[in-house]
Amino acid sequence: MSDAFASLARALGTAFKESPGDPWPDDVFDRWARRVFAHQVETNAVYAAYVRKRGVTPSTVAHWSEIPWVPASAFKAVPLVSGDSSRVQRVFLTSGTTDAARRGEHHVLDLDLYRDSLIANMRHHLYAGGSGGPDGRGRADGEGPILPILALAPSPTRSPESSLSFMLGTALDVLSGGEGGFFVTEDGVIDTVGLSEALVEATAHGTPILLAGTAFAFVHWLEWLQGRSGGFALPPGSLIMETGGFKGRSRVLERPEFYAALSEAHGVPVEGIVNEYGMTELLSQFYDGPVYDGRGAATPEMTLEARRHVPPPWVRTRVLDPNTLSALSNGEPGLLCHYDLANAGSVMAVLTEDLGVAFDDGFRVLGRAQGAEPRGCSLAMDDLLSGVPS
Amino acid sequence: MRTTFDACRLPPFSSESPTAPPTLVWETIDVSESVAIRYPVWADGAAGRLLEALRGAGARLAEVPVRDLVKWVGRVADRFLDSGDPIRHKAVDLMVPTAGLSKEMATEILIGMARDWTAERLTELLRREFQDPAVLDGFCRLDEGRSVRARGPLLTFHVGAGTVPGVSVTSMIRALLVKSAVLLKPGLGDVVLPVLFAEALAEEAPELSDAISVTYWPGGSSALEDLALQTADAVVAYGGNEAIGSLRTRTPVTTRFIAYHHRLSVGLVGREALTSERAPHVARTAARAVSMFDQRGCVSPHVIYVEEGGAVDPGEWAALLGSAMADLEAELPGGTLTAADASAVHQMRGSAELREASGSGVRVFRANQSFWTVILEDEMGFTPSCLNRVVSLFPTPDLCRVADALKEVGGYLQTVAVEGAGDRLPMLAEALCRAGATRVTSFENAPWPPPWWHHDGASVFAGLLRWIDLEETG
Repeated sequence: MSDAFASLARALGTAFKESPGDPWPDDVFDRWARRVFAHQVETNAVYAAYVRKRGVTPSTVAHWSEIPWVPASAFKAVPLVSGDSSRVQRVFLTSGTTDAARRGEHHVLDLDLYRDSLIANMRHHLYAGGSGGPDGRGRADGEGPILPILALAPSPTRSPESSLSFMLGTALDVLSGGEGGFFVTEDGVIDTVGLSEALVEATAHGTPILLAGTAFAFVHWLEWLQGRSGGFALPPGSLIMETGGFKGRSRVLERPEFYAALSEAHGVPVEGIVNEYGMTELLSQFYDGPVYDGRGAATPEMTLEARRHVPPPWVRTRVLDPNTLSALSNGEPGLLCHYDLANAGSVMAVLTEDLGVAFDDGFRVLGRAQGAEPRGCSLAMDDLLSGVPS
Repeated sequence: MRTTFDACRLPPFSSESPTAPPTLVWETIDVSESVAIRYPVWADGAAGRLLEALRGAGARLAEVPVRDLVKWVGRVADRFLDSGDPIRHKAVDLMVPTAGLSKEMATEILIGMARDWTAERLTELLRREFQDPAVLDGFCRLDEGRSVRARGPLLTFHVGAGTVPGVSVTSMIRALLVKSAVLLKPGLGDVVLPVLFAEALAEEAPELSDAISVTYWPGGSSALEDLALQTADAVVAYGGNEAIGSLRTRTPVTTRFIAYHHRLSVGLVGREALTSERAPHVARTAARAVSMFDQRGCVSPHVIYVEEGGAVDPGEWAALLGSAMADLEAELPGGTLTAADASAVHQMRGSAELREASGSGVRVFRANQSFWTVILEDEMGFTPSCLNRVVSLFPTPDLCRVADALKEVGGYLQTVAVEGAGDRLPMLAEALCRAGATRVTSFENAPWPPPWWHHDGASVFAGLLRWIDLEETG
């Protein structure tokens, strides 16, 4: 059983790495998705029983869109492992539930598959040079700049249960050549002095960086900066990646105001600020920028509303009517349902509580269906971030 | 093409009135594909004049005999109950999109609410609440050595929650009966009935035309809200903790503040009801209690505790309940849900089905094309419902242990519907009352408390009235 998963995971990882970023044709995605679904029904007794109750089997599924989804909250209810659960390598926990004892758990059988997904996707969006970097400053091999990561998140060793920390740690090792660091201490406080020094140093050396973290940590950071004179003027090519929303745990900023403040404080144009939409329940992520054109020039006419979150080639996202659960046409708002092949070791199809709209070139997240409990990467950290030293 | 409904009924600002009609700016909200809601945006000047006009009307209202108020309100109720009256059809047609209800459910709710607004029921209410309702009109000698009279506020400001249509009208009627002028800000889901009620009342009783104003605005956003909190003699607020808390902090300490925060209700089914004869009937009444108002009422059960050891075991009764929920879905279909409400059902139901699939004792009975869901749990506990006809069943070895499980929600507990407790009922009622419950009833009566019920434990008029003693003097 585990061998079957190992070979599937290896094949998927190779496909992810070899994928240049363009969407896979539907028949290619469909073949992979049905192979993953068959594997999940065969190896995940809980999901198999759930699927059986719906009268679905791998042989009745004519198209990937018929694969039964599980609700995101199911990760709180039962372990979802498609394979040998004794071989689970890591359990990532969701944060932001009102009941800390009932955090969602993503049991990950193969961290390499997660790495392959996040690295290929992040490289394409944030480290691609040409279309991703504003100044043509690239490496000899044609890839983009190395971009050390300065993370407004705890390090993966301090926060092994955080998928965001894992992602940033992996990217720092693989994409940033080990350059950068984590600037949230183990008790959850931002190391403001350390981060300031790192930003000053990057500026002095003319090294563009990727400043990445949770939205509310950025708010705390901006508040600390406000009490200081002057901001930073990061070298051209620097990017900011924010994720996770505010969760009602910091001051809420409207996105234009938030991005303007980030841009002003760091000298990074708004075009270079990217939202990462991700969740512990999915091992793939979605980016909505940076929005530079192919020659590295900013495209200021692109409003924040016009931005799209783009699924990587191995993910399909459908927008479902909340009442009927039938698929909606482009432009109609509904619930986002993701089919993520990187979830081969758990469950691929996940219905979120997020509202969004699909377009030809991606989707736009409208926010959480109101009334649902706040969640996401940010919350647990904010409990600790009660006071940033000033 | 959307119909626009003006979520607003204002006094006529007649020529006799010292105040001229204010010029209003309007905002519009699309509440469905077919209906938009339009509401005025209040500037300080217009808000002040409205409140002044209402206070003036309140002073005149104090001179109207209570029996006239009962008669006029009753006439409006009769119109809502008359299936041939156009107002009935208008109400139902607009309740469907604004409250997210099916037409059948909207009709059922309108009839259930209006039944308690009739002259007969209001007379009965006054009779039960007052030794002699004439105390509302003047001093009455009720006991040796003293006369008493009861006066209501000059102006009450009501803030509705919008979860169940009609609740705001009931609240307005109570204030009118104690001769208070009324300003109501309804919740978005309950804008239709108060406006139609106020319009119809003005038609039936032109005397009351300037004593009642209904106008919607998004909570917290209007100059009228702050001014009304400052000006009213009493504030009656329905809503979530945050909304109530915000209103309370902005209300002067000298103003009476009557709050109905969100509550939840539960059901208990004992062994005596779990016979093969009774169990199906109890399932049908329980299904109706859960489904009425699409479970959005404070009286709607979130959870039902089912006693083990009866002829029908909890699993069998869960199946009976599921079947009754399906029947009721056909009779009174569920409404179209907001994305948030629908999402909450998908999450709760799907998670329960995965727990079922994991081989635990959990079982899920559910609709395929609608939202009703019965979740039979395998361990004692309490799980609040996501609403819209999702109910959790907890087996219990002994009904009398349920009160312990409810202690954690005591601050929110309201109605407990009990069936089959047999002669344990008095003891059980005592335990439930210690756990925080304020009403023990049957499933059949659970959705429709009588007008004189102690809503959340208080007398109907207690918060609104000021009693004046006139003692014998020389």
